[in-house]
Amino acid sequence: MHPAVQERLERTLGRAGQERRAKTTRGLDAFLWEKRWFFIALLVGGLLMLLPPPEGLSHRGIIVLAMSVIAVILFVTEPVPLPTVAILIIIGQVLLLGIDSTTVAKSLMSDSVLFIMGSLMLAVAVVKQKLDKRIAYFIVRMTGTRTANICLGISLVSGLLSSVIGEHTVAAMMLPVAITLITLTSSDAKKVRGLAAVLLFSVCYGCSIAGIGTPSGGARNAIMVGYWKEFFYDPTNPETYKYLVDYMTWTLYCYPVFLVQIPIVTALLLYTFRPEYDNLSRAVVKLRSQVNSQGPMGQKDWTAIAVFLLTLICWILFSDKFGLGTIALGGAAAFLILGLVKWEDVNSGVNWGVVLLYAAAISLGIQMKDTGAALWVATSFLQTLAPLGFDSGTPLLAAVSLLTTGVTNTMSNGAAVAVLGPITLKLAVAANESPLVVGFVTAISSAFAYLTVIGTPASTIVYSSGYLKAKDFLVVGFRMAVASTLVLLLAASVYWPLAGL
Amino acid sequence: MAGRKPGLSTDGERFSIVVCFDGSEESHRALRYAVRIGSGTDADLTLLYVRPFDQGLRTSGLDLSVVRENILSWGLDLPGMRVLKEGRDALVELGWLDSEWEQEHAHAQVRGDPLGDNAIVYSSPSGRSVVLRLLVAQSVADGVLDECELGQYNLCIVGWPASGGASGVGYITHEIATRIAREHTGTVLVSRFLEESHGHLVCVSNHEGSILSARTDAEVAARCACPIYLLSVAPSQSKLYAAKRAIARARAAIRDAGLEVSGATTLVGDPVTTIIEEGKKYSVIVMSRFRRRTGWRQVFSNSIAFKVLARAKNSVMIVR
Repeated sequence: MHPAVQERLERTLGRAGQERRAKTTRGLDAFLWEKRWFFIALLVGGLLMLLPPPEGLSHRGIIVLAMSVIAVILFVTEPVPLPTVAILIIIGQVLLLGIDSTTVAKSLMSDSVLFIMGSLMLAVAVVKQKLDKRIAYFIVRMTGTRTANICLGISLVSGLLSSVIGEHTVAAMMLPVAITLITLTSSDAKKVRGLAAVLLFSVCYGCSIAGIGTPSGGARNAIMVGYWKEFFYDPTNPETYKYLVDYMTWTLYCYPVFLVQIPIVTALLLYTFRPEYDNLSRAVVKLRSQVNSQGPMGQKDWTAIAVFLLTLICWILFSDKFGLGTIALGGAAAFLILGLVKWEDVNSGVNWGVVLLYAAAISLGIQMKDTGAALWVATSFLQTLAPLGFDSGTPLLAAVSLLTTGVTNTMSNGAAVAVLGPITLKLAVAANESPLVVGFVTAISSAFAYLTVIGTPASTIVYSSGYLKAKDFLVVGFRMAVASTLVLLLAASVYWPLAGL
Repeated sequence: MAGRKPGLSTDGERFSIVVCFDGSEESHRALRYAVRIGSGTDADLTLLYVRPFDQGLRTSGLDLSVVRENILSWGLDLPGMRVLKEGRDALVELGWLDSEWEQEHAHAQVRGDPLGDNAIVYSSPSGRSVVLRLLVAQSVADGVLDECELGQYNLCIVGWPASGGASGVGYITHEIATRIAREHTGTVLVSRFLEESHGHLVCVSNHEGSILSARTDAEVAARCACPIYLLSVAPSQSKLYAAKRAIARARAAIRDAGLEVSGATTLVGDPVTTIIEEGKKYSVIVMSRFRRRTGWRQVFSNSIAFKVLARAKNSVMIVR
């Protein structure tokens, strides 16, 4: 290497280079510009807090509302590292609402948060087992070599897995499968644009539509289960026991909504992107030979599968007694104890700041309820809907679904449920509708973040492959959102009443 | 910090070009132009792809490094490296790079991400080098600006995407290209439907910096054997004399550098629209700019150079 090139690489490579530029070239004006949305958020929130509270809303209520508005602006525009938003929510509750700091600290930890923590650790542990090649082999054996069948197989298998272990886990495992099929078909990305889109979206939407299938499918489900308990459960009133939604109850109502959508996903993807190849026999043969080189499954593989199945059985049988979170943590502990994953891998693979963020968002949601802010927003929303005839029954559910779909496309679906859950549940109360039905509609609709790359973890993961453009999500996402909303409303008006909800 | 100041002056040192390469049609055109400018034994060419830092909330807390490690375990390239290798293959097709070149890898962790920054360096027996540079940064623009300023390249070339801006990971959008042109302390060529053989239109005024820019651009144009044309626009008839004087000064400065001017024009009219209209006939419109506008100040900027950059239909080079 020429010394001049060597010298340049030493100057630019890695952290040292970035710190250097930060010190030498960034002035105050650049800082203010970069952080403009942070200051705008504070300004908007500050102005809201100074306004006289509208009728029906207390001063504390408007403070919580202002904090929520600030949090939403910061979630969407990201001018500061997102865990900072969590820290600000915690500080705000102590300083602005005058809540004792120990009380705030206690409100941060709940079973939902334990579940988020445990399922993330499980996600890393499962991905590290390298079972993805086995799964890929299973798919191509099952589907043959036709592109349409492979897409259906990928959607189905991704869906079945992510309905129990979280869509981020499955998307992380299935992404190399899709990329391998694409690159084995052609190394020129431009020649396989349609094929790449169909395969990657099969992973993405397969995961997204299935994440609502069971409570362990995603953080949003655990958050909604937590809200039902927090908002409506009263140990002294047997009438409220139905709000302790267990694993099987959730699965009974939501799993069919996922299954119905599987063929719709494949049909829409094939119709939208028209893959260049209708048969992937060459790629499949190469993939098979790659997978065969791994040899038969070993003891470690079987142990990992056994631990995961045991965790799943415990979720199904004991989640109402011990909570989803405890069992998720138990599963993660088992992986660590058996040496199936290293703590260093878990530690680097989990973004702990996000766990803190969910904890703070849920805590703020509870304040929304306690201060009456959620009820006020819900009532105001209902008054807006009334003249349009959307204030009860299926039209109300459609409005809730549309609202959630809109919000979830601008932020993570877990954050969307954490922010919207208190409002939609209070909306159900104000409209004399079942909080369970409205809660399910909110949680399920939060999966309809098909239009943007940041809406769901699976979208972000497949987008990171570099094969997709944001426009692709808009093109097919709109069709998916319409189809999924129709399926959901059909389930809410026909299937759920028949199933006893 | 040791090393030369950013800019176009070669002064007997190695000439270095960084091309922001995202795999788009425009970045391929920019690469071809870089090869043309860089032809010579002293040129180093860097292909740069920037991946923004991950934002954990978007993946519900699962770090994308887990996904990337999984991709690597399948023997696949990371997306950025795949794009850069596409650029490398284009260089092989252009005859710039061949199998005799030595290959070395360099790597550094960034923010605890073990996959972090990567570079593959190809060195020719004659001393030229090509670097495939995969960088992680706060944003694509931040990464390009980091690399350009710390690497002290003579020239940064960034493609202006054809239709409003592509939107894949690491893609250059209009906003990113504009920010790089505004904030970089060195010279930036914003490549837009870049056709190689129509010469450089160098816009000059009586400002000392403008005359210097004309000279430094002439040195670059000479590297690719591109003809140089001078243009000075007088906003009114009364300022025509000053415009003609600017042309004469620029011509003399270029002649002093041992180079020739192929033509010169003095026109009267609105500078921005006149330059854009006249510039359509050339490969590159060259503008000088000495003040960087960063942060909120750019909102109030009234720079002719940036107005031309925003509205022109062809490539614009901002010389600093």
